[in-house]
Amino acid sequence: MPGKTVLFLPDKLSVTVEPGQTLLQAATKAGITLRGACGAKGVCGRCRVQVKSGRVSLSGQGRITPEEAAAGWVLACLAVPEDEVTVYVPEESRLTEHRVLLEERESGVLTAIETAETSLRPLFGRRLVTLAPPTLSDNTDDYGRLTWTLQQHGERAPFWAGYALLRSLPRVLREANWQVAVELAAVEGATEIQGVIPASGDLKGPFGLAVDIGTTTVAAELVDLATGNVVATAGTYNRQAAFGDDVISRIIYATETAGGQAALREAVTETVNGLVGELLRLRGLNPEDVRAVVCAGNTTMVHLFLGIDPTYIRLEPYIPAVNMPPPVRAAELGLAAHPEAWVYCLPGVASYVGGDITAGIKVSGIAAAEPLSLFLDIGTNGEMVLGNQEWLMACACSAGPAFEGSGITCGMRAVSGAIEAVRVLPGGFEVIYRTVGGEKPLGICGSGLIDLLASLHQAGVIDRGGRFVPDQESPRVREGSEGLEFVLAWENETGTGREIFVTQADIQNLMRAKAAVFAGIRTLLANVGLPLEAVEKVFIAGGFGRFLNIRDAIAIGMLPDLPLERYTYIGNSSLKGARLALLSQAVWEEMKAIARRVTYVELSVGNRFMEEFMSALFLPHTDLSLFPSLGKERD
Amino acid sequence: MTVAIAKERWASRCLETVLGTGPRQVKVGGDATLPFLHFEGEIPNPPVVALEVFDAPPQEWPEFLTGAYEGVLSDPVAWAKRCQDYGADLVALRLTRTHPDGENASPEEAARVAAAVAEAVEVPLIVLGCGVEEKDAAVLPEVASALSGRNCLLGCATQENYKSIVAGCIANGHAVIASSPLDINLAKQLNILITEMNLEPNRIVIDPSIGALGYGIEYAYSIIERVRTGALMGDKMLSMPVILLVGQEVWKTKEAKTPDTAEWGEHKKRAILWEVTTAVSLIHAGGHIAVVRHPESLQYIKEHIAKMMQPQKY
Repeated sequence: MPGKTVLFLPDKLSVTVEPGQTLLQAATKAGITLRGACGAKGVCGRCRVQVKSGRVSLSGQGRITPEEAAAGWVLACLAVPEDEVTVYVPEESRLTEHRVLLEERESGVLTAIETAETSLRPLFGRRLVTLAPPTLSDNTDDYGRLTWTLQQHGERAPFWAGYALLRSLPRVLREANWQVAVELAAVEGATEIQGVIPASGDLKGPFGLAVDIGTTTVAAELVDLATGNVVATAGTYNRQAAFGDDVISRIIYATETAGGQAALREAVTETVNGLVGELLRLRGLNPEDVRAVVCAGNTTMVHLFLGIDPTYIRLEPYIPAVNMPPPVRAAELGLAAHPEAWVYCLPGVASYVGGDITAGIKVSGIAAAEPLSLFLDIGTNGEMVLGNQEWLMACACSAGPAFEGSGITCGMRAVSGAIEAVRVLPGGFEVIYRTVGGEKPLGICGSGLIDLLASLHQAGVIDRGGRFVPDQESPRVREGSEGLEFVLAWENETGTGREIFVTQADIQNLMRAKAAVFAGIRTLLANVGLPLEAVEKVFIAGGFGRFLNIRDAIAIGMLPDLPLERYTYIGNSSLKGARLALLSQAVWEEMKAIARRVTYVELSVGNRFMEEFMSALFLPHTDLSLFPSLGKERD
Repeated sequence: MTVAIAKERWASRCLETVLGTGPRQVKVGGDATLPFLHFEGEIPNPPVVALEVFDAPPQEWPEFLTGAYEGVLSDPVAWAKRCQDYGADLVALRLTRTHPDGENASPEEAARVAAAVAEAVEVPLIVLGCGVEEKDAAVLPEVASALSGRNCLLGCATQENYKSIVAGCIANGHAVIASSPLDINLAKQLNILITEMNLEPNRIVIDPSIGALGYGIEYAYSIIERVRTGALMGDKMLSMPVILLVGQEVWKTKEAKTPDTAEWGEHKKRAILWEVTTAVSLIHAGGHIAVVRHPESLQYIKEHIAKMMQPQKY
């Protein structure tokens, strides 16, 4: 059977897909990443597209109304082209590009974290050496002469080299007059000699790559390994997002859909290669110039990236295939880098605490400091680490993607047009909001949602349990298809011509997200029998953290009521950690040691977390005395 | 060798709730110690027992239970008086006719029945809705208004429907039953929500949604225990008295419904003991008001309470 051609508008991109493949798969092939939260199950209703011409067969309606269906609207994940079709992809169905957090300078909050490493000793480096020429009294072989000299220069034994290198070694050494640059890669406690070239040549770089593979976003830095300088940065969405918002739905997609695991691997590889291409173009370099890659990602991301079966990560007792994967050649992964370049994935701790968190521990410095510190990655997985130089404990509270706008009817990421701050006036008649970029509102992002939750309660629209107070006179509170909802912006105010509102279900979703974070913190503390006040420093990482207003987050009971000066925002510590490891063999070893030190707390065991979660499902908390600064303390 | 009696020094005590008016008024709570540990703290009021009255003849009751109310099953007023004669400390009127899937009686109709029952008895009245949250939210405020000034106990208010019920209680001087699904945090949250409407904490009674013997009683036991220790340790939002809706749970178990069998023995004896054991266990956990159905259960429970209220001497 011939393939079906799909033309995407307004991009005017045309692709041919196999019979039976959906419009979602076609869009991915065309490089258009559609929004999807449910793992292509037709439930979330985000991948809406309009069929302009041609026939599609549908395996379901999703949330498309009959009127919309008559106008050609379908969910891309449920529609299979039957002949040549033309499809219009509206803006709101796309994962639009946005600034992915790359640098701490964007944070506006801090930071005083010292990232300078003592010595530059990258995982891949060129060492200039002069070998003593052989004589009758020094008849060592060429390879032995080379390794002996390297050892004298402080390189780490044992050494090993590929057969191809040995074949050319005698000639290269002599032609270079025994003055050579040796290309060395640190691999699992040994040193691989990847190349021997004349020292006199024009030596650029070498370059390395630090990559943060986030569930939602992927960021990369191109690093000059000779100087340690970052020469270019780039970030984008993880194209796996089309197959599910969170790690669980992606694992399900990988294990239950034919070819799912390959599709996810391809999606992330393409995402990373896209970034690498962009970085190399900026600097006029070739993939062969990239000689080492360090990736930081959560355990699931690493499994999917390496093409390792993730099935058992999500099944009790939650065992990943590997926490500390050995390095893999770039060629084996299909990465746009020197084929022999090693790809190192930062060591993780457990199924839901991965190398990105190990990086966070290193970057925040909590493992080396005396004060009791808390590291929080406020994202979909909600990993957190508590401890100091003596002990470290970690858990993942699975906050869900609500604060990243997912799973919320009118939620969106913090891109232009997102409502980022809201005030609801008492009674709920009037709403004041501010959008990113001052644009007409398109939806509401995480910081806006946190603001909204606090504000709706203060205005008397919802009670402490997050339920709409019945019988309100405000025209903004109305009966929707799924219970009461609150209209934030009327259709004539918005950029889409559709109202922006929050439903009772959205509010419960937010309540659960914030409760999970706080319950995670309390559970870690309870494990060591310490009160909230014992936490002397809180480091917040993750893309969402940048937009987070700490005051608001305390007001809704998501973060502990500690003095604001104890909070520090450290930006993308995952990417930073990857770069530190790339530039220092010592840091790489240290991260392994850190990962081994961390005690993973399994939250599903015992009653503690559930108990804490239930008590945090309240504004701000069932135990109001935990939030003294909110001025509503009971005796 | 002398033995020193170990006594816990509690920081606080349970709130005392007064129900009803006049000479047969009932006080519950006020405990300054764990159940019946007289040597350690004051227990000003014994636990009390209520009998249930239905506003329509109940279906599916075994004969020995309906037999106890023979001749009054169709007349809630006469039934309530019978309960009073049996020695009930309170009467619990259950408004089954308001259920939307059944007769769907109007709030006004329910209020009329409640007023007639209240008029007929001297003991305090508990009024229980049909359990459908929306309907109870409409019925109970009407009942509250019809019983204005009689200081009744109305319920059950849940996180979904507490607003109108509590408003009715505030306006007409009643106490409210705050019902939560076997979760200490949810119980506490509902109490906070209710007190934030400015109902005094001592006008709230906690219904932890108990399970009967063999059907989750151990969850109820530990929840009630935690409510009591919370109160004694000074948690104001857990200091309210606890009501045990024993009858409604026990009489739906198969042990209370199955006729005489060789393995399980005599039906009547077994069913009543099921009710007594459930009530007594949960009173020992810290319950204050037990609502039961059989008058013999009432007798046994009251005898047990009387014995337990005799102070220990050391």
